[in-house]
Amino acid sequence: MRGAARGASRHWRDPRPTALIVAAILAILTLFVLVYPAIYVFIGSFRPGGGLLSATTTFTFRNYVHIFQAGFGRFIVNSLVICVAATVASTALSVMTAYAFSRFNFRFKRTLFMGILFGQVFPWIVLINPLFVVFATMHLINSYIGMILTYTAFTIPFSVYMLVGYLVTVPKSLDEAAIIDGASRWQVIWLIICPVMLPGLVATATYAFLLCWTEYLFALAFLTQTDLKTLPLGLYQFFGEDNVDWGAVMAASVVTTLPVFLLFLPIQSRISPGRIAGAVK
Amino acid sequence: MRDRLFITTMLLPTVVLLLLFYGYPIFDNLRISFTDLSLLGMRRGGNWVGLANYRELFHSGGFGHILFNTFVWLTATSVILRLLMGLGIALLLHTSALKQLRLAALARFALLIPWATPPIVAVVIWRFLLERNGAVNGALEALGIIDHPIAFLADMRTVWPSIVAIMLWNTVPLIALSLLSSLQTVPDEYYEAAELDGATNWQMFRFVTLPFLMPAILVLGLMSVFWSFNNFVYVWLATGAGPGTYTNVLATEVYLKAFVDFKLGYSSAIGMVMALIMGAFGIVYLRLVARQQLEETL
Repeated sequence: MRGAARGASRHWRDPRPTALIVAAILAILTLFVLVYPAIYVFIGSFRPGGGLLSATTTFTFRNYVHIFQAGFGRFIVNSLVICVAATVASTALSVMTAYAFSRFNFRFKRTLFMGILFGQVFPWIVLINPLFVVFATMHLINSYIGMILTYTAFTIPFSVYMLVGYLVTVPKSLDEAAIIDGASRWQVIWLIICPVMLPGLVATATYAFLLCWTEYLFALAFLTQTDLKTLPLGLYQFFGEDNVDWGAVMAASVVTTLPVFLLFLPIQSRISPGRIAGAVK
Repeated sequence: MRDRLFITTMLLPTVVLLLLFYGYPIFDNLRISFTDLSLLGMRRGGNWVGLANYRELFHSGGFGHILFNTFVWLTATSVILRLLMGLGIALLLHTSALKQLRLAALARFALLIPWATPPIVAVVIWRFLLERNGAVNGALEALGIIDHPIAFLADMRTVWPSIVAIMLWNTVPLIALSLLSSLQTVPDEYYEAAELDGATNWQMFRFVTLPFLMPAILVLGLMSVFWSFNNFVYVWLATGAGPGTYTNVLATEVYLKAFVDFKLGYSSAIGMVMALIMGAFGIVYLRLVARQQLEETL
């Protein structure tokens, strides 16, 4: 009898009041630590000096005006050009590769796929020196082309993996029907398959874009000329040697992050965390 | 035959690009590590010095400290805490209490905010909060825990815990969400059966929940190891490997030696050490994760 009562009160679907309170407190603490820092910085971007020195509640757009006067717009343009081009190239190549992997059997298929997957865990920093030497001789330092090629190569492993996952769910009978109707394989890929897996394609491309948008290491090594720098480098330019212009840093952070949030939130459910784990660097 | 030509055309551009950006550089890095190539004299090229760079590396006093930082702080501490906190949050979000309070959905959304925040911005946020006159010092002073503000990222006693805290804030949500989705696959009947047998909460966790989560924990832990060990941005942007070189790790040392000291040869030798260590982990990765990914997708 006692056991049954205890069992019932302890049932995991029917918590005791104390458990409820403990859970609530823990949850609110966790929520606070997770969310507050981001909100604090968002608000700080509208305060003079980031709100660090003054406790005033003055609302101002001056930080934003200031960063654009300091040339932040240029960094946005650079990032957009490089990231959009790299995303288009990497997604197109990945669609082709993923299609071959999902539709055909060929020699070394498994080995090749494993090799591409391995790219997801490669220590990028080790590639910096040799790539720098090659880029220097080919005039690819401080060049859009160099950065676009780099970012294309470094988003492909993730994109191929994602797209193969989507493509195997598209029935092969679709391809065969189109081919009987006289379409070429090439047409099948772009006119039949891509529209069918459009949500997956968009999610993959978006994530590849976000990886480029926030990439710091390659940009740091390969872009030294101010007018070619990308957004992440521009953001850290506001950290001076001695003092930090917090107002500008906050505003630049918001400008960097807002597109990330807007693009990431709609696709996050499509990109399962387990998959992301392989792509996050 | 036509198929074969088609497959080749589809694969060739990707394979060539990946060979150029992963395959060739890793071998070239090995070659550079045997030379005294300098960033300032690249046109001239470097002279072959054999194993001199490696000898210098292993005899330099600072290398042990760098390895310690990389293994103990950057990797072990962050990975273990990340898994524990991720598991804790996942379990918390899975409790019926949270569902009853209608907090679970809100909390899930809250997890997305640090996850979606790019690492470069996460560091900015915490550098701001950890400033001398920032919010963290303000809160600690108001609570009476400290008398004087702490320079968290400049004080040797606090700098590593601070860097790890930044990493955790940014990355725990991903682990928590992954484990939460695994938790939701545990069939209710298992708990019901355990309860009939009189299992305590701890026993249910230990013998039902944990075995179910173990594969996910292993994979996430392994990915986490790669990701922390290779990471450059957190340490570099938070402290620039400082104060002095106190928080220097392998990744920042590769960059410092190449682009601050201009010693490309020496830097490449450090890179090779990194690649070798990761290669060992890579074998585990291939056996555990890549094979599983392969089975799942192909």
